[in-house]
Amino acid sequence: MAQVEQFQYDNAIVRKFAYATMVFGAVGILVGLLAALQLVFPALNFATAETTFGRIRPLHTNAAIFAFVGNGIFMGVYYSLQRLLKTNMYSKFLNEFHFWGWQAIILAAAITLPLGLTSSHEYAELEWPIDLAIAAVWVAFGVNMFGTILKRRENHLYVAIWFYIATWVTVTVLHIGNNLEIPVSMWKSYPVFAGVQDALIQWWYGHNAVAFFLTTPYLGLMYYFLPKAANRPVYSYQLSIIHFWALIFIYIWAGPHHLLYTSLPDWAQSLGTVFSIMLIAPSWGGMLNGLLTLRGAWDRVRQDPILKFMVVAVTAYGMATFEGPMLSIKSVNAISHFTDWTVGHVHIGTLGWNGFLTFGVLYWLIPRIFQTQLYSQKLANAHFWIGTLGIMFYSIPLYWAGWTQSLMWKQFTPDGFLQYGNFLETVTQIIPMYALRAVGGTLYVGGYFVMLYNLVKTIKSGTFQAYEAAEAPARVATAGAHKGEHWHRWIERRPVQLLIGSTIAILIGGMVEIFPMVMIGDQVPKIESVKPYTALELQGRDLYIREGCISCHTQMVRPFRSETERYGEYSKSGEFIYDRPFLWGSKRTGPDLHRLGNKYPDSWHYNHMLDPTSMSPGSIMPVYPWLIEDDLDNSLLPAKIAVLRTLGTPYEEGYEEEAIADAEKQAAEVAARLRKDGIEGDNLEQKEIIALIAYLQRLGTDIKPAPQAGN
Amino acid sequence: MKNKTLKALPLMLPLLLLTVAAQAQEAADGGATPYFYDNFLFWSLAALAGTVIVAAIVALFHLLNVMVKVNQIRIYQEMGLEAYEKEVQKAKEPFWDRMYKRWTDAVPVEKEQDVMLDHDYDGIKELDNSLPPWWVAMFYITIGFAVVYMTYYHFTDAGAGSAEEYEMEMERAEKAVQAYLATQANLVDETNVTALTDAAGLETGQNIFNANCAACHGMLGEGGVGPNMTDNYWIHGGDIKDIFKTVKYGVPEKGMIAWKSQLSAADMHKVSSYILTLVGTNPPNAKEPQGDLYEPQADAVEQPAADSTSTAAEPEDALGMNK
Repeated sequence: MAQVEQFQYDNAIVRKFAYATMVFGAVGILVGLLAALQLVFPALNFATAETTFGRIRPLHTNAAIFAFVGNGIFMGVYYSLQRLLKTNMYSKFLNEFHFWGWQAIILAAAITLPLGLTSSHEYAELEWPIDLAIAAVWVAFGVNMFGTILKRRENHLYVAIWFYIATWVTVTVLHIGNNLEIPVSMWKSYPVFAGVQDALIQWWYGHNAVAFFLTTPYLGLMYYFLPKAANRPVYSYQLSIIHFWALIFIYIWAGPHHLLYTSLPDWAQSLGTVFSIMLIAPSWGGMLNGLLTLRGAWDRVRQDPILKFMVVAVTAYGMATFEGPMLSIKSVNAISHFTDWTVGHVHIGTLGWNGFLTFGVLYWLIPRIFQTQLYSQKLANAHFWIGTLGIMFYSIPLYWAGWTQSLMWKQFTPDGFLQYGNFLETVTQIIPMYALRAVGGTLYVGGYFVMLYNLVKTIKSGTFQAYEAAEAPARVATAGAHKGEHWHRWIERRPVQLLIGSTIAILIGGMVEIFPMVMIGDQVPKIESVKPYTALELQGRDLYIREGCISCHTQMVRPFRSETERYGEYSKSGEFIYDRPFLWGSKRTGPDLHRLGNKYPDSWHYNHMLDPTSMSPGSIMPVYPWLIEDDLDNSLLPAKIAVLRTLGTPYEEGYEEEAIADAEKQAAEVAARLRKDGIEGDNLEQKEIIALIAYLQRLGTDIKPAPQAGN
Repeated sequence: MKNKTLKALPLMLPLLLLTVAAQAQEAADGGATPYFYDNFLFWSLAALAGTVIVAAIVALFHLLNVMVKVNQIRIYQEMGLEAYEKEVQKAKEPFWDRMYKRWTDAVPVEKEQDVMLDHDYDGIKELDNSLPPWWVAMFYITIGFAVVYMTYYHFTDAGAGSAEEYEMEMERAEKAVQAYLATQANLVDETNVTALTDAAGLETGQNIFNANCAACHGMLGEGGVGPNMTDNYWIHGGDIKDIFKTVKYGVPEKGMIAWKSQLSAADMHKVSSYILTLVGTNPPNAKEPQGDLYEPQADAVEQPAADSTSTAAEPEDALGMNK
C-alpha cells in the first residue's frame, strides 16, 4: 500500500471565482433587464450611443455567458477538480493569472462593447486584441488543469473531468476557428472568410459555444455537485460513458440548424437538422443520469432548496435539449426562426439550466468553504420560487410573442396580399408580451438579490478556510487495471489519450461541414453583377456593425412567399461574397434589410435615423442622433481596402490611395440629394449618417430587382 | 375460423383505402356530393369491415392468452411447481408495471448494492445500471430518422430542396389567388378606375393614406420627403388613372414605393380617390409645386364614362412621358 500523503485543497481561488460569479451574475441579468425594458420603452436607450440596444445586447450576452457562467465554471472546476483528483492545483501562479486575466478580459469587454468595438460575430463580438488575451488565459487554464490531472493521486478520471477536458479542447478549437481575422488597426479587423463561409463558421462556433461553454462544463459540475448534495450514487456509469462520447461527437455537427432556409447549401442545412435530432438521446442521457441519481432522495428534494434548484436546472436542460432539436426541423424552424421563440428557448437554458445550477452550487459551496451553515433556508426557498416564477413569466410571453408575430408575418388575404403588410403592426402587437417578459426578468433579478443577501450573510457568519487539509495515498501508476473491469476504465487512466480521443470526436463534424464549404468554389455560385462595396459604403457597413444593427435586423430573405412578397427576391449565397463579416443576423425585432436598397429616398433614412417614429409612428427603434452630429473618420479607409484586397476582395491596385477621395465624392452626392429634399446641415457631407445611408441604399441591389426564378 | 378473418383483413383494407381515394378524386373533380357518402352499400361495407376488424383483434387477444397459459403449463411440466408459481405471479403483475420495468430496466434502490461499482471519487459512488432500453430505442430511432431524411432529400431526388419548395409554394399561392379572384367581379385596375365619391370609401382611403403615405407626403398631403398632393401640379399625372398607376407601380428610382404587393386593388382605388380630394385644400407648410400643371376639368369632360379598352394602350409609357 502506498504511502498516505498530506496536502491541502486551495479554497482561496475557489472563493475568488465564486465572488466573481456572484458579482457578474448581477451585472449580466441587470443589463439583460435593461435591454428587455428598452424594447418596451425606447426612451431607455437614453439617446446615447453607449447605452443603445444594439450595444447593450452583446454586453448582456457576453456578461451572462462569459462573465457569469464563465466564472461559475471556473469556481466549480477549481473546487471539484482538486477533490476528484486528490491533489491541490498545479500552479498557484496560473490560478492567479487565470483569475485576474479572465476578469481583465471581462473589463475590456465591458469597455469595448459599449464603445461599439465589435466583430459582430454573435458571442464572439470581442475584437482581436481581446481574442488573443482570451486565448492566453484559456491556455493557462488548460495547463493548470492538465498539470493538476498529471499530478493526481487518483488513478481514474471521473466523468466530470471528461467533460472538463472536452470543454477545454473544443472551446480552444472554436475560439481560434471563429476568430481568424486580419487586423486593420488596434480595434478593427476583418474576418478571413466572407459571406456564407463566414456564416457557417460563425454558427459552428455559436452553436457550440452553447454546447461547450453552457452545456458540457455544466454537465461536469452536475456530475460532481448533484451526487454530493444528494449524497447518492450516480445512477449509471454505462450511461455516463455513452452519453459523453455521443454528446461531444454529435453536438459539433448541429451548427447549421441556425441557418435553415438561408443561402447555406441544402446539404449542410440537412446535416444540421439530422444531427440535432440525433442529439436528443445523448442530451437526455445527462438529464436522466442527473434525475435518476436522485432516486431514493426525492423526500429530501421537497425540503432542500439546493436539490430543488438542481432538479429544476436538470429539468430545464432536458426541456431545452428536446425543444432545440424540434426547432431544427425545417418546417418548425420556418415558424420559429428570427422570432422571440428562439429567445424564449435559449433563456430556458440559461435562466433554468445555467442559472439554477449555479445557484445550487453557490448555496452548497459557500457554507462549506466558510465552515458554516447557510444563513437562511427560508430565503433560499423564497429565491427558488421567485426565480421559477421569473423563468415562467419570462419565457411564456416570449413563446406567445414568437408565435403571434410569425403567424402575422405569414398571413395572406385571399386576394394574395400580406394581411399585415406593414411590419410595424407585427411589432406593436407583441409589445405587451415584451412588457410581461420584463416582469419575468424583474422577478428573476429580485430572486438573485435575495440570494446575494443570503450568501453575504452566510459569508459574514463563517470563517473562511483558505487551505483545507486532506490526505490520500500516493498514486501507483500500474495499480488501476484489474481483470474484468469495464473497457472504458483503460482510457480513464490515460488523460492524454482521453484528450486526443475527444479532440478527434469533436473535429470530425466541423471538418466534414466546413472544409467543403471553404475549399470547393462551386458551393457558392458566382453572380456576375455582384461588386465590392465602394469606400463610402464600406464605411457605412462598418457603422452598421458598430451600432449593432444586427441585433434587431436580419439581412437574409428566406425562400418563402411571405418573405419575397414583403421584402423582395430571396437572398442568394453569391450576393454575400464580399461581406466581411456576414450580417445575416438571427433576430427580426425590426424588418429584414437585405432588399432595403432604393426602397426609400435618402432623406427618409436621414429622418428615420434621427427619429424613427417620425417615419414609422409607434416604432420601438432607438434614435441615432450622433450619426448626424459626428464626422465620419476616414483615416482607416486605405488600410481597410488593403486588408480586404489581401483577403480576396477585387479592389483595383492603388484604390487605397483614391479611397478617401472616392468616399468624399460619393458623400457629396448623397448630401446633395438630401439637400434637395430640404435637409440642411453644416458639413452634411462629412457626417457619419451619409456613409450609413450609402450602405443601406446599396443593400441587395446588386442583383436585378426583377424576379429570377430558381437559381 | 380465425384463419379466415386473418385472410379477409388484407382484402378489406385496400378496399377501404380505395373508397377514400375515390371520394377524394370526386371531390377534386367537381365538388358535387361524393357518391359514397349517402350510399347504403358503402356504409354497409364499412360497418362490416369494422366488425370484422374488431372481431379479429378480440380473437388475437384470446389467442395470446391461450398461448400464455400453454407456456405456463409447459413450465410446470418442465421446471416444476416452484417455477410455475413464480411465472403465474409475474403474469399477475399489471401490464403497465411490467412494461415500465422492461423499458427502464433499473435495479431498484433497495437492491442497488448489487450494482455498486468499486468507484469512489471524493465520496461519489457509481452504480452499474444498464442503459435505459427506452432511451436506447429513442437513440436508434433518431439515427434511423437521420438516415431516412438524408436519403430522401439528398441521396435520392425524392425530397424538394429549398428553392424547389419555394417554386411550389408560389405556384400553389398563385392558383389559390386566381381561383379567389375569379369569384370577385369587376376588379379595378389603372385602365378602368374612376374616382370614388362615397364617404365610406373616402374615409377608408384617408385611413390608408395616414398609415402608409403620410410619412412622406404629410398628414394633410402637404408634402415632405415626397411631393405635395394638394396643388394642381403633378409629376406623374393628376388624373385618377395616373394616380392609381403611380400608387400601384411606384416610381422606384425616386423613392416612391410600388404598393401593389401591399395594398389590394380596392384599397389602392380608395386611397387614390382620397388623394384627389386633397387637391386645393391649401394646408399649412405646403411644399412648393413640382411637376406639370394639370387641369382636372378638361380631362373629366374628355372621358365621361371610363370605359376600358380605349385607354389600355396608354399607360405603358405614361410614366416616362410625365417625368
